[in-house]
Amino acid sequence: MERGSVLIDVEEFKYADNVSPTLKGINLNIKKGEIIGIMGRTGAGKTSTLMLLNGLIPHFYEGDLKGNITVNTMNTQRYRVQTLSRFIGLVLQDPETQIFSLKIDKDIAFGPSNLAFDRNKIKEAVLKSLDSVGLKGYENRITTRLSGGEKQRVAIAGVLAMDPEILVLDEPTSELDPKGKREIYDLLIDLRKKKKVTIIISGHDSEEMLYYVDRLVVLDEGKIAWQGKPENLFRNVPFTKKLGICPPELTEIGYLLSQNGIIKEDEIYLTLEESADDLLKKINPVKNNKVFVKQKTKSTNDIVIETKDLCYSYDKDELILKGVNVKIHKGEFVALIGKNGAGKTTFSKHLNGLLRPVSGEIYINGKNTVKMSVAQLSHEVGYVFQNPDHQIFAASVKEEIEYGLKTFGFSESEREERIKNVLKFVGMENYEHRHPFSLGKGERQKLAVSTILAMAPGVLVIDEPTTGQDWEGALQMMDLFKELNDNGHTIFTITHDMRLAAEYADRVIVFADGKIVLNDTPSNVFKQTEILNKCFLTPPKTALLSQKLKSLGVSEKNITVKEFVDSIELKLN
Amino acid sequence: MLIEYYPLNSPLHKLDVRTKLIGFVILMVIAFLYSSPVINLILAIICWVILLYVKAPLKRLNSVIKPLIPIFVIMFVITGFSYPPSVFESVFNKQVLFYLIPDENVPLTAGGLQLGLTLVLRIITMVLASTVVTFTTSIEDILQFFKKMKMPYQLAFIITTGIRFIPTMQRKAEMIQEAQIARGAEIGTGGIIKKIKSFIPILIPIIVNSIRMSDNLAVAMLNRGFGAMKTSTDLDEIRMMKNDYFIITLSFLILIIALWARNQKYGVL
Repeated sequence: MERGSVLIDVEEFKYADNVSPTLKGINLNIKKGEIIGIMGRTGAGKTSTLMLLNGLIPHFYEGDLKGNITVNTMNTQRYRVQTLSRFIGLVLQDPETQIFSLKIDKDIAFGPSNLAFDRNKIKEAVLKSLDSVGLKGYENRITTRLSGGEKQRVAIAGVLAMDPEILVLDEPTSELDPKGKREIYDLLIDLRKKKKVTIIISGHDSEEMLYYVDRLVVLDEGKIAWQGKPENLFRNVPFTKKLGICPPELTEIGYLLSQNGIIKEDEIYLTLEESADDLLKKINPVKNNKVFVKQKTKSTNDIVIETKDLCYSYDKDELILKGVNVKIHKGEFVALIGKNGAGKTTFSKHLNGLLRPVSGEIYINGKNTVKMSVAQLSHEVGYVFQNPDHQIFAASVKEEIEYGLKTFGFSESEREERIKNVLKFVGMENYEHRHPFSLGKGERQKLAVSTILAMAPGVLVIDEPTTGQDWEGALQMMDLFKELNDNGHTIFTITHDMRLAAEYADRVIVFADGKIVLNDTPSNVFKQTEILNKCFLTPPKTALLSQKLKSLGVSEKNITVKEFVDSIELKLN
Repeated sequence: MLIEYYPLNSPLHKLDVRTKLIGFVILMVIAFLYSSPVINLILAIICWVILLYVKAPLKRLNSVIKPLIPIFVIMFVITGFSYPPSVFESVFNKQVLFYLIPDENVPLTAGGLQLGLTLVLRIITMVLASTVVTFTTSIEDILQFFKKMKMPYQLAFIITTGIRFIPTMQRKAEMIQEAQIARGAEIGTGGIIKKIKSFIPILIPIIVNSIRMSDNLAVAMLNRGFGAMKTSTDLDEIRMMKNDYFIITLSFLILIIALWARNQKYGVL
């Protein structure tokens, strides 16, 4: 075996307090300098597999491990995690609990200090690793004042400073904006090139995997369901979906076109250039310019939310919101997008009175909210928080939902009725007596939505409902909101997922630096590539492709896969 | 909570942690030596001036002092009634203002009131002085201090990391509170039983989240090689400089003068 290589030969692993095994047959051979991507549904065993690599399993998380893992020529069963950390660095998902110090330089130095490196070597390593994650000059900053993305980079830098030969990252880019994501991946490619570092990375973003990894390993129910070059998997769109993975947008377009015989199956697109070039050749520019875009207009409905010159600041020095004017109509599905720290959550919290503006006004259903309490407002505006674990406290699903209903003063029969209905609606019948903490992440999130939904507010504000969820979970959540929307609820959601915003929303609002930059239909927002890029956002790939094909008369307004394929087919027939 | 450390470049930030602790202890000794409110007021003002000088965000102390005000009032009044005139030395302090119960029982003395004021000022001095230390001393320095005192490194690390994560936990608690308020929770209202019960929806998520967080922290520590080697390197070693020796000498000098003055019956009620 070579240094920097990994050999996993695990027949089975069962956590001590679980009934059935989490991993069943993981055989993986990773060579020095390879970049491996790990994908799969939530609960498929991705994090467990990563924790096998540095010995957290079985040293910290105990259980029945049948098999051996050899990392950097060391058998993980025989070495302590701390000892292995010298050679294999693991960056976990939550950056909050990976930062130990108040000052960045001291935090990055924590790892090398523990390894008793020489002091000057540590100082050098601190500067170098900060530089490589794009945080040059941050050494004297305070860690608690960093944004989520910056914290994620500090966590990565902290492990890089230990100079590992193998780097393992568990969903490292989930909180980064597109620009930040690209920087992290460029850094990884660079590490491989310069130091031949072996990299193992898990994630949900198939586009990233497609561009950056050498080999993709897909886990399903604790087994390796597929491995190979990522393009080989993604070209097989039905199989990709079956594994619970969202295929890249352009690949899906290519697949749909190949189904209609427009392109061959082995030509299914991977990149934007490839697809644009091919379609430019195939399409006749003059024929049929009919635009296929859903045009719903709800802007004639009553206004349910209106804000006038809304300003807010946490301390009096700096304004977080700088005069926000928004009108939201009844029955609209609004998506609020923008990079981290743009003021999205701060704005949303004004809608149910959790935050009060320093100046400006908010009207809900025509009433000024200045004198209304959060409890009063919650009858009209329900707020679903990002992390369901911040609210779950009861011993059963039923009690959890009942809590809000009790505070609203509903009678017992009314409460029973509502709990039944809401659980049926979210597809969780017969869950009434389950313990909330025994549910999976997706179910807990649904429960959090149910607790708000049971109170039947006309407006639902939902903060990042899909972050940290796998593709199927995200779609389920969004479909649920769509259904609510069809039933007349007004939906206002913060999201990082441009593709979901394009597919589900009637209107997209773009925030940057506490102000509204764009506020229009998705198709009108996503054609403004330049403005979006300035806000560190990128339109969905389909929108970019439509823009490239503008000369052929393909409308820029085709921003979803279905719209695009329909309009291409129309052109060719 | 006291104001947590913020790295600035004030001379106090540059002082060695040991110097600051010696200064703190001497200040406390002096505060307890004297029962006169004047001396204690001077000490409190000194601490206040130091905090202004190092640019500490003093507004945040409001949340510490404010809840104490009723306690201060109670202390002041009760101490006023607690001492018979005979315990005081000066004629002024022996004065009885009035008796709470007829027939000269439970007198309110001028000395008692002064002593009450002293107790209140001592608490304020303590809060201010410890804020000076917490605001100007980084956790790494405190950790090194513990190490130098031969405290087991693991134990010292647990204590200091605990302190470091207090603000994080506070933020988490705020988020949890917001989430429950949005569900119509009314926290801390109603009768005593209802009041206690109203905290359950906040306490349980806090406990669950803390347990999860401590688990994650332990994992993160292992990932960063905590305990891999017998020794560990400190990025900056705490070191006594000229200023430190100067301040320590000065502090002891003041202490000796204070002891002498106390012996001469200065600052006694």
